[in-house]
Amino acid sequence: MTTQIKKLLVLAIFLRLLVAGFLFHPDIKTINFQTSFLKHGVFNIYSYLVENKKTLPLKDNFVYFPLTYFTVGGYQWLASPILGKGFDLWLSDAGSNSVVTNSNIFKYLILLKLPLLAMDIAIAFLLMRFFETREDKEKAFIFWLFNPFTIIIIYAFSNIDIFSVSLTLLSFLMIKKEKLILASFLLGIAAGFKLYPLLFVPFLFLSGRNLKEKMLLSVIPLVTFGLVIFPFVSPAFFQSALVSGLTTGIFMSDFAVLALSLLFFYAVLIDKKINTFNYWIILFLIIFSFALFHIQWLLWIAPFLTILAVKNLKLSWVIIILSILAFLVPMLYEDRYMTISLFRVYSTWYDLLPTPFVFIQKVYDPSNLQNVIHSAFAGGSLVMIYKLFKESV
Amino acid sequence: MKKLIWFTAIFVLFLVFIVPGILALGIKLIPNGDQPGYDSNRRLSIYGVRAVSQKFVSDKNNLSAVGTSLRNPNLKNKKNIIFNLYDLNNNLIRTSILNGQNVQDGDFTKFVFDPIKDSKDKVYIFNISSPETGPEETTEVFYGQDMPAWIVEYIYDEKIHTGGIPIVLYTKPNSKFEVIKEIYSNWLSRLLHLNSQR
Repeated sequence: MTTQIKKLLVLAIFLRLLVAGFLFHPDIKTINFQTSFLKHGVFNIYSYLVENKKTLPLKDNFVYFPLTYFTVGGYQWLASPILGKGFDLWLSDAGSNSVVTNSNIFKYLILLKLPLLAMDIAIAFLLMRFFETREDKEKAFIFWLFNPFTIIIIYAFSNIDIFSVSLTLLSFLMIKKEKLILASFLLGIAAGFKLYPLLFVPFLFLSGRNLKEKMLLSVIPLVTFGLVIFPFVSPAFFQSALVSGLTTGIFMSDFAVLALSLLFFYAVLIDKKINTFNYWIILFLIIFSFALFHIQWLLWIAPFLTILAVKNLKLSWVIIILSILAFLVPMLYEDRYMTISLFRVYSTWYDLLPTPFVFIQKVYDPSNLQNVIHSAFAGGSLVMIYKLFKESV
Repeated sequence: MKKLIWFTAIFVLFLVFIVPGILALGIKLIPNGDQPGYDSNRRLSIYGVRAVSQKFVSDKNNLSAVGTSLRNPNLKNKKNIIFNLYDLNNNLIRTSILNGQNVQDGDFTKFVFDPIKDSKDKVYIFNISSPETGPEETTEVFYGQDMPAWIVEYIYDEKIHTGGIPIVLYTKPNSKFEVIKEIYSNWLSRLLHLNSQR
């Protein structure tokens, strides 16, 4: 690691800690409340939460997959001595204001987001390994660590999808090194955190060189995922994670399903040599173009867009414009925690401010504006998809 | 590349140090605290001549609004909900009228009026009524006995009870600068307090 890279890394960590400590999204508290039961010996969190719903202060189901529970819960168990005695009380505090006015809030936020920071930095180093020249490696490092989009998505929104994202990136690094079996295994592990990597299994099947390899590449992720979830399979697990809106949201849009099917059949019938990297990006561009997405989902594609931007600098401006448009769409949801309420750690007085949705409502229909922005994003994405197919970047 | 590094560093510093100040510029009213807790099963119905009155003490000058949670079951009340504010001598000093159409069931609703400059430590009584409605268009307020001392007593069905409606009082700040200063000083004192990050 060069001195310059070390200096940049220190700056990047400093900037991340600022956002991590001062911006608060309630997801971090909900997830940590649910995963806190690991240190009390609860193995099957899905059944536990459903069975004890009446007596628990927070009633949400655990919508993530088992590896998220064990990773976040395991880290919390390790960090317990530093988090202190009042931490569990804070986790079970259902008060909207007392949670953010707690005197330890800054410490909790930084400590709870440290695993995200570790994954974030790991991604920066993984990205460097996709390139041969020192110049490209540095570009990838800087593009990843010094773009405001990922800093916000990861640290303001406490995005625990980063575990899946780093594993899928590692999986694609293995694909690049032609270690396809390992790559498909990693994809299965990534799905053990969050389901979306399994969307790629059909394309992984098509990328196999012969029938045996095709079968292996598609069966390994599914079996790995199956083994991860097997001990938890129960009505509570199905209800909480497998068929939750967070998991099935992509399929709520007919257009998204239609476009994904088109992509698959194009790969089957027309494309002679599948570029897995491009298909992975196209898959997400389709999802974000046609489905109503959570802002956290944008992280799924972010490291891959970084690679694309390094490979083809001309595309970086298109990527920036599309990223801004993609950011604006969820910010126009009528959800205070998409914008203003992220700052509640500073003051709960911000609760008196209108959201962008309400503010825009005074002059124009915000839902219509959201549709316009989403359509503009979809248009740009479709052109980018065309370019990816045509030039095979 | 250097431009990108500078841009992102400035963006983050702007986000965590400047944006809270800019957001503070939009704050027109300052609450006196959190809404007191209440039992959602304890409610008082307001319709026709049935009204509720609440005695309270304002702890600051420039009292400008009173907020509480209102129920409008099935959004049936589409008539006016009238908030009248009286001083201790029963003089009507402020009125605020909301239409039931704008009150969603369970909404925290603010009755906003012109600021009362010298409201500090003074006792007021407000009355909430909806005289044009019948029993099928009832609006409900929550109530409880264990309220903070400044929520003194309430009158319902011509009877006086201790405690009352879980309200929040709002005061108009003297200047934007006062709001910004208050937010940053509160944030910094929590951040820098030696005993805070235990």
